Amino acid sequence: MALTDYRADAMRCTRCSYCKWIPFDLVRSARFAKGCPSVEANSFHAYSGGGRLITMLSLMDERSEVTEKVVDVAFKCQLCGNCDVACKMCRYDMEVLAALSEFRAHLVEMDRVPDAYRPLIERTRAALAGRGKSPAERNAWADGLDLRDASREQVDVLFFPGCKYSLEESLRETVRLQAKVLLASGLTVGIIPEAGCCGGLSARMGYREEATHSSQNLLAQWAAARVATVVTPCADCRHMFTRVYPGLDGASPVPEVLHTVELVDRLVKDGRLELTTPVPMTVTYHDPCHLGRQGEPYVPWEGVEKKIYGQAVVYDPPRPRYNGAKGVYDAPRDVLAAIPGLELVEMERSREAAWCCGAGGACREAYPEYSAWAAGERLEEAEATGAAALVSACSRCELNFAEATAASGSDLEVHDVLELVWRALGNGREAS
Amino acid sequence: MPAPALNPDAYRALEDIVGAANVSNDPAVLDGYAFQYLAELVRPENSPYMPRPAAVVLPASTQEVQQVVLLANRHGLKIKPTGTGWYFFNAPIKEEDLTLQLDMRRMNRILEIDERNMFAVVEPYVIHAQLHAEALKRGLSINIPGSGCSTSIVASACAYAGQGPHTYFMGGNAENVLGMEWVTPEGEIVRTGSLGSGDGWFCSEGPGPSVRGICRGSIGSRGGMGVYTKCAVKLGPNFGPREWHVGGTLPAYRLPLADTMRAYTVAVPTWDAWADAYYEIYDNEIGYVFHRQFNLAGADLAPAFWLMYNDHTKTLGDVPEIAARDDVRKLAEEMRISFQIVLAGRSVADIELQDEILNAILDEVGGHKVERFCEPDMAEFTNIYLQRLGHKHVNFVWAGGYIGSWMQFGTPDWVKGYVPTAAAGLERDAAGGLLVQCGGDAMMGSGSGLPGGGEMGLEQFVSYDSADLESTRAAARHMEDAVKDAAAIGYPPGKEFMYLQMGWSDEQIWEALANSTQPQVFRYQRQIKEAFDPNDVGDRMYPTLPRDVGQGGEVGTPAP
Amino acid sequence: MEDTERSLAAVVGADHVSDDPASLDQYAGDESFTERLLPRWVARPGSADEVERLLAWANETRTPLVPVSSGGPHFHGDTVPSVPGAVIVELMRMDRILRVDRRNRMAVIEPGVTYSQLQAALAAEGMRVTPPLAPRANKSVVASLLERQPTLIPRYNFHLPEPLRDCGVVWGNGDVMFTGEAGGGPLSLEEQWRSGVVQAEHKGPAQTDFFRFLTGAQGTMGIVTWASVKCELLPSVRTASVVSAPRLEDLVPFLYELNRVRLGDEVFVLSGTFLARLLVASGASCDGAPAWNAVIGLGGRRHLAEERVRVMEADLQVLAATHGLALASAAGGTDAARLVEVAAGCGDSPWKLDAAGGSCDVFFLTTLDRTQGFLNTARDVAEAVGLRSAALGVYLQPQHQGVGWHVELSLPFDPADPVATTRARAFDAAVSARLITDGAYFSRPYGAWAAPVYIRDAASREALRKVKAIFDPAGVMNPGKLCFGPVAAKEA
Repeated sequence: MALTDYRADAMRCTRCSYCKWIPFDLVRSARFAKGCPSVEANSFHAYSGGGRLITMLSLMDERSEVTEKVVDVAFKCQLCGNCDVACKMCRYDMEVLAALSEFRAHLVEMDRVPDAYRPLIERTRAALAGRGKSPAERNAWADGLDLRDASREQVDVLFFPGCKYSLEESLRETVRLQAKVLLASGLTVGIIPEAGCCGGLSARMGYREEATHSSQNLLAQWAAARVATVVTPCADCRHMFTRVYPGLDGASPVPEVLHTVELVDRLVKDGRLELTTPVPMTVTYHDPCHLGRQGEPYVPWEGVEKKIYGQAVVYDPPRPRYNGAKGVYDAPRDVLAAIPGLELVEMERSREAAWCCGAGGACREAYPEYSAWAAGERLEEAEATGAAALVSACSRCELNFAEATAASGSDLEVHDVLELVWRALGNGREAS
Repeated sequence: MPAPALNPDAYRALEDIVGAANVSNDPAVLDGYAFQYLAELVRPENSPYMPRPAAVVLPASTQEVQQVVLLANRHGLKIKPTGTGWYFFNAPIKEEDLTLQLDMRRMNRILEIDERNMFAVVEPYVIHAQLHAEALKRGLSINIPGSGCSTSIVASACAYAGQGPHTYFMGGNAENVLGMEWVTPEGEIVRTGSLGSGDGWFCSEGPGPSVRGICRGSIGSRGGMGVYTKCAVKLGPNFGPREWHVGGTLPAYRLPLADTMRAYTVAVPTWDAWADAYYEIYDNEIGYVFHRQFNLAGADLAPAFWLMYNDHTKTLGDVPEIAARDDVRKLAEEMRISFQIVLAGRSVADIELQDEILNAILDEVGGHKVERFCEPDMAEFTNIYLQRLGHKHVNFVWAGGYIGSWMQFGTPDWVKGYVPTAAAGLERDAAGGLLVQCGGDAMMGSGSGLPGGGEMGLEQFVSYDSADLESTRAAARHMEDAVKDAAAIGYPPGKEFMYLQMGWSDEQIWEALANSTQPQVFRYQRQIKEAFDPNDVGDRMYPTLPRDVGQGGEVGTPAP
Repeated sequence: MEDTERSLAAVVGADHVSDDPASLDQYAGDESFTERLLPRWVARPGSADEVERLLAWANETRTPLVPVSSGGPHFHGDTVPSVPGAVIVELMRMDRILRVDRRNRMAVIEPGVTYSQLQAALAAEGMRVTPPLAPRANKSVVASLLERQPTLIPRYNFHLPEPLRDCGVVWGNGDVMFTGEAGGGPLSLEEQWRSGVVQAEHKGPAQTDFFRFLTGAQGTMGIVTWASVKCELLPSVRTASVVSAPRLEDLVPFLYELNRVRLGDEVFVLSGTFLARLLVASGASCDGAPAWNAVIGLGGRRHLAEERVRVMEADLQVLAATHGLALASAAGGTDAARLVEVAAGCGDSPWKLDAAGGSCDVFFLTTLDRTQGFLNTARDVAEAVGLRSAALGVYLQPQHQGVGWHVELSLPFDPADPVATTRARAFDAAVSARLITDGAYFSRPYGAWAAPVYIRDAASREALRKVKAIFDPAGVMNPGKLCFGPVAAKEA
């Protein structure tokens, strides 16, 4: 891949600015019409999806050089995919999100990255070289839970919490509840103690080599353990497994991957989990970018651009279209709907139009103030619904929102979907 | 390529005015404003870049705008304000100018919605979609121009055109604009109409003669005559629900029709019948949104395209297969000359009567409602498409490039006269495969660009691949061809003429202005510019004719 | 005959120049309180060519011109010279209806065409032009529209100058130009018509709405030699209703909604006093009209016209009932339909003078919700100057589809009675000053209203002076009006 692979996309950008907004048909107010946190916070056109395409073109055309500003433009972006969805409302030939990822990879190759990236990638490299957190540290969250060692025995599902759920103290209770929900269904649930990072952060940052290395490690572990189904509570990890891993050259096949809300949805519908205890609460659900609009199934493709009707741009064979239509929106909502006494009110920007929590694209790590600001914007939107709680299905979203509510002194509770499922199983608000 | 160099003192002064974070002269950032749609058709070597600004400035208030304008006057700079910045008019025009690009996006508030008196006051970066959504909640609606709901209300009303599918019922933004706040090129602040008297926003005229006559005419100054920092616009009635429950799957969202509304695609047998239908619609005073929209994809392919678009499992590559189906072939013939109309009634009885009247009109002209496109799925799609106009980027769907040619504005009887030539021209120019071959009639246009009916234009949608040099050049040649084709049948040139001029030298433009039928128009504009922009901070998007060019000399020279 | 007169006669013909005392006297003053000043001549050009040559002559001789298109009496002071030596340019000889186009619903007329003349001609084609309130028969359509006189049908009023579209103008500097889409074509209407141009688009040409410099201008920018106007279809079925109430505020929510849903052709509101005057002047009697009366005409045209009116009536019933109001078929003993007829028709005489011989009219624009406040002010001022506020008639006209309202206070007085005249003059001065200060928008600042208006809006004043300097640099067009100074005396 190279920057020039997206030259045509950049040339075909018409600078219409749809990428800055949610799909216009869905706009219900002036306040919540905006879709792109980056351009909202930073204003210059370059900070939009289309603006980055132009920046890439400017570099390709040698009209400009990589400056600190260009680095800021490239990396101060959650890669949330709103621009991609909005552009694809009217276009079948543009791949804005893919271009933005390529832009980062290009700058990483030049070693032109935000300063905050350096310690992060060093830690990743150390972990890949075996100098990261020990299995004991990574799996401390599982102490006392009836989880099998999936590297030694077959299990129904491999539970993969991901780095944030594994290591963040503030998420400790949540991850334990998630595991307990799955166990309550009667499934055998296991973990692979040596499992490392999914490679998500590396991938978003643009460090493809490290991301590939991480993915190869996991895929090898899964192959060796003959894992049939991986379930993860982290939307970011799910995205890596379902959308990035299958495209890696020479990688082992990826087993079935489900987000916990997808599995719980199945279990509830199959009667294996009975949600009978009322949870009288009004909640609003935040669609994580990586589960929602970026949670579409992967379709392998290799092909070329071709023209029909003279100049109309199509692909041979037909190229899969990732436009957010087939994201995982209904499973979490069906789960919430199955909880007695729970009322779901939607934010204006939901499903494919959800405003990013702010954590994505390594912004939580590299640009914490900007990330927190984006989370604050979403909090306002959640508060506008009158809900008592903001519920989501991603470690990074939940972390960002929890910190934002604490910072603002908001009364809004922040929960993972499975926390409420646990309560509906008759387990109250007990400590795990 | 180095950016034109701004004097460091001037740059520092800009930072003092708006804050360092809100100015940039980083070349990559500047190119975000130089890169422009349509530049590739007129710039040397088909470059997609217009000239680069010397700096981009993001003001947050009228006072900051005024300060920047005063600074420009002091330092001999040009000023180019931009709203959402779609179209190459927004960019600097000349390489040799030092232009400050004012990106107005920090001025993005709806300041007031006066529901009872039906107007709203907005800053430049409020887009039509935002105000439309807020208006709907209050039982109101707005005019959304042909450029769609992603565009700036202030830019449309004060500095550009403002007509579109809603204009027939709602009024165009030119008719709807009320008080305007204008920072003149000299840095004065002029408030028009009742606003200038401190009497509120509600009236655009007067006192006495209307100062707003300077601000815009059939088209506005496109950023070449000062900066509009606020305006008020008249709102109109919403006869549907105040809250939309949008269904469907993207990209083809759907809006169920209220029981007081209808959304139809209507077909007529001939262009004569088309004109007759329009006149009857005007005379019978039915219609809420009135537009020939779907045909933008080309009459040969439009039904296949829109059926594809409404199936989220399909892509552009599926169009040929769909088009080859028998039922779709028949549909293409059936709706070859068709248009869309949304009806809205005050009551159920009213809408039922309007429906009967539409049927009577169609009977008279030999037209009919196109059944497939009036089925609930397509009707609901048409309903949301036309009411929100949020799919205007479909103009570019085929290959990324679209040039709108023709679009000469006049009565339906006059407009139908150029349709065959426009269609033949596109067929001819696309025959070599360098333009999208969608049939000669890819003409789109509002039911009336004048409020209440009367005049409109049909714009030929010529699609080219803006990433392909040969295709881009073919589109540029088409523009020249369209000018010649129109002249050959005694019509003035269309939109493409305005676009071509963006690539001309001043002298070429002056020659065209001097040869226009009433060149004194542009000599008066020169005098207006001299009076309001003595230091020439505005560019030639506000066109003027110099004293010594062309015959006739100075207008209005008083006798000695 | 002096040289100047000879040269003037050479332009318009000796038969069409007059300085007989009666002719001059009729223009020395009008029904307003404008100071009297005799003009020097009255000239009557008969064609656009003559108007063009007249402007050239005026610039050469530095002679002030005051254009007049309507027969008298005049009411606003704009036809009374403000400087000595002026020539009244009577345009009534230019009274041709140049074209009526039913298909495109456009008419092109010269400035001397009156409402009575035009409506009769249009009626023959099943059309009309949306009228102001009861114009006198000799009222010029072009003059009325140029002065933005409010019209009776708010839903057609997409912007205030409607139904005025394009103009042919001789600017004060002598240049001939067409405005609107006509400005993009040759300087020949016939040639434009042959090529299918119907002068319907009012905007432009180019980046300037030239016609807006002519509106509200009191003849200070140039002389309009033709104008195109948008016509509407005459309804084939008509009904009318009145909704009356003791207080204006009882009608306000109803009126807001009526305009919002664009129900009605004619929609206007008259106080009982005003209604009585109008009816009596039309030859009807008036029998205890309620204090406030909203008159609503409904019209059906083209297909299913009767059903259309029936549905509109039903919708109107529901709307009125929602606001606790009832539709009546009459007011003051006169049928609503007759009321609409009177309001939309042309009376032979200037009906406002019938009651007492004189009429002091003060008018401005505002929004409906502020109207009562201004009426209270007017009442207070009336009483302060010794008038019975009950004598004050009020006409309210929604414009711009209800966004703005024309508010007109009308006080009949006997000009032969010095006390009454003094009171009326005092009322005019005091109420206009108060209202301007309180935020009533005097968008048409006639006579003494101009000074405070242009003090209040100095930026517009300066902008207009720049425009004036372009289109009338010698200042020959009606000097002394609005914010424009008198022309400099010709240097010896």
